Amino acid sequence: MKKILEITGLTGGYSPDRPVLHDVSFDVHANEIVGLIGLNGAGKSTTIKHVLGLMEPSMGTTKINGKTFQEEPEEYRGQLSYIPETPILYEELTLWEHLEMTAMAYGLEEQTFLTRVRPLLAEFNMENKIKWFPGHFSKGMRQKVMILCAFLVEPELYIVDEPFVGLDPLGIHSFLELMVSFKNNGAGILMSTHILATAERYCDRFIILHEGKIAMQGTLQELKGQMGNPDATLDDIYIHASRGKRP
Amino acid sequence: MMDFTKIWRVRKDQYFSLALRYFRLIGNSGFMLSLYILFVTGSFYYARILKQLPENFPALWLFIAVFAYLLTKSPVRTFLRKGDLVFLLPVESRMKEYFRHSIRYSMVVQSFIVVLVFVALGPLFSKYISGRGLEMLITIALLLAAKLWNIKTSWEEQRLPFHRNRRNYTLLRLVVNAVFLYLLFQMAYVFLIAVLAIMYVLSNFVFGYIKKVHGYKWEHLLEVENGMMMKLYRVANLFTDVPQLAQRVRPRTWLSSLSKVSYRHSHTFDGLYRKTFFRSNDYFGIYIRLILIGGLFLFWIPQGWWHTVLVLLFLHATGIQLLPLYKHHKGNVWFELYPVKHHWRFQAFQRWLRLLMLIQAFLYVAFLLAMGGTWTNGVVSGILAVIFVWLFSEYYTKKQLLRVR
Repeated sequence: MKKILEITGLTGGYSPDRPVLHDVSFDVHANEIVGLIGLNGAGKSTTIKHVLGLMEPSMGTTKINGKTFQEEPEEYRGQLSYIPETPILYEELTLWEHLEMTAMAYGLEEQTFLTRVRPLLAEFNMENKIKWFPGHFSKGMRQKVMILCAFLVEPELYIVDEPFVGLDPLGIHSFLELMVSFKNNGAGILMSTHILATAERYCDRFIILHEGKIAMQGTLQELKGQMGNPDATLDDIYIHASRGKRP
Repeated sequence: MMDFTKIWRVRKDQYFSLALRYFRLIGNSGFMLSLYILFVTGSFYYARILKQLPENFPALWLFIAVFAYLLTKSPVRTFLRKGDLVFLLPVESRMKEYFRHSIRYSMVVQSFIVVLVFVALGPLFSKYISGRGLEMLITIALLLAAKLWNIKTSWEEQRLPFHRNRRNYTLLRLVVNAVFLYLLFQMAYVFLIAVLAIMYVLSNFVFGYIKKVHGYKWEHLLEVENGMMMKLYRVANLFTDVPQLAQRVRPRTWLSSLSKVSYRHSHTFDGLYRKTFFRSNDYFGIYIRLILIGGLFLFWIPQGWWHTVLVLLFLHATGIQLLPLYKHHKGNVWFELYPVKHHWRFQAFQRWLRLLMLIQAFLYVAFLLAMGGTWTNGVVSGILAVIFVWLFSEYYTKKQLLRVR
């Protein structure tokens, strides 16, 4: 299977003396959703920042399709889209202008933009809000803007940080369905979340981070095997791993 | 037991020290000197204008307009903070004590402003309305009484749940104030007593009723308080970077068509800068005001090469005032994440700044010619302006904005 994201021996953090991540290695392949889970402060967000190229590793590399950010910054960034945990919007732009600007920034053809944007707006029930400003949006709607922008680009790699908070059930449903369809079309998705029941249903593999190290990783079957309990749920495995007991 | 007096005092002190810090910065920036020069020349012209004013100058209406505005606009400085929605909401019933300090504070500050304005307009008053000392004193005293009434009633007005209600009551106050002022400046004291009686009834029964049935509108009060803080921040922001300057957005949809850019990868930031200019903070307001003030100066100052200097001066002012637009979205992670060329962002800003300055230059030259200036003067001003805009956007802007990456 094609490796889209390849993280090797990643050590890094906010200061070189006190790294948050220690020798983290994992891949995200085409056609899979990888769940990144761990306690608060386990290093999920730091991992994501390294993948986005917002932080420089003190050791190790993150590569997208074989290239690091330092080698090809624009190409690297053009292949991923990011859904942040807290929505980041331009207060001065309407919903439509956000979408248009994102499309322009990612170099989409205008025609492609126009054909993609309508069905997406309809799917997330935002068709009648295209002239609204973020000031009038609820938390969930802001989150939807982030999702719309990310899905509009249709990149190879999605980096998704806790997407469910504030989203209404219909929105969560649409989001998950679209993720699955993008995955089936060849995208790779790295999703960090605390909603384990959903993760268990939708993720093909899991990376469980604990104190900046990978505590466990693999498919649900593999994790159950490592834990030696074939009936364990992801919750059980997570709690087991996060108490620091290596199997 | 919460000590509301103490909470209020601490906040007031914090506000004072913050304001003082900003004023010190402003003072150090050479602005005080310009202000001083402005004051001296201003008072010189004021005296001259006073002498030249015709006998039938409508001073009465000017006074009514100025003081009706000052009286009707009577906001209460609450010093509320965002966290209060969580932490002070439970003790709402005892907030009266806290707000009493706010009301008293607002009364003192705004009374001072009323007196100041009255003193500034004093010469006009004694020339057109009344030169007698006693009448002046009575006028000041009654103006202050009206100010206190307005603060008290406007405070109760804030309890109303909808913007429309509040606006209606503000209009009511405006009418009462206008009538009051008309009678006051006409020295019609007998009628004035009738108006005072009406005011008494209004504040006790109409506004008193509001007080009885409506609670505090916390979110609205916070918004008002924020708006007043933003005023300080916005003034200070002209001299230094103010991180707290929250972005207030005005849609101004009628200007949206002007901010459209053609759809192109390399134009990613053009639309953003244009829309931010029109909709955010006050870039657009500053731009228009500078154009108008420049126009006024061109109108006042006699023809000659001075005009060319003025045109360049005001172009420079516009350029300087619009530089913060470049960093308006500082810290926004999308700027980092977009797969775009690094210099596109600066180019987009530069293009927009240049266009705005050229429009301003064009307006000035057209204005000069329309006022009957010579063609040579107009053409020379125009050419120099274009050269200036080019130099400013190409060199100065680059130096200022790209210094630190």
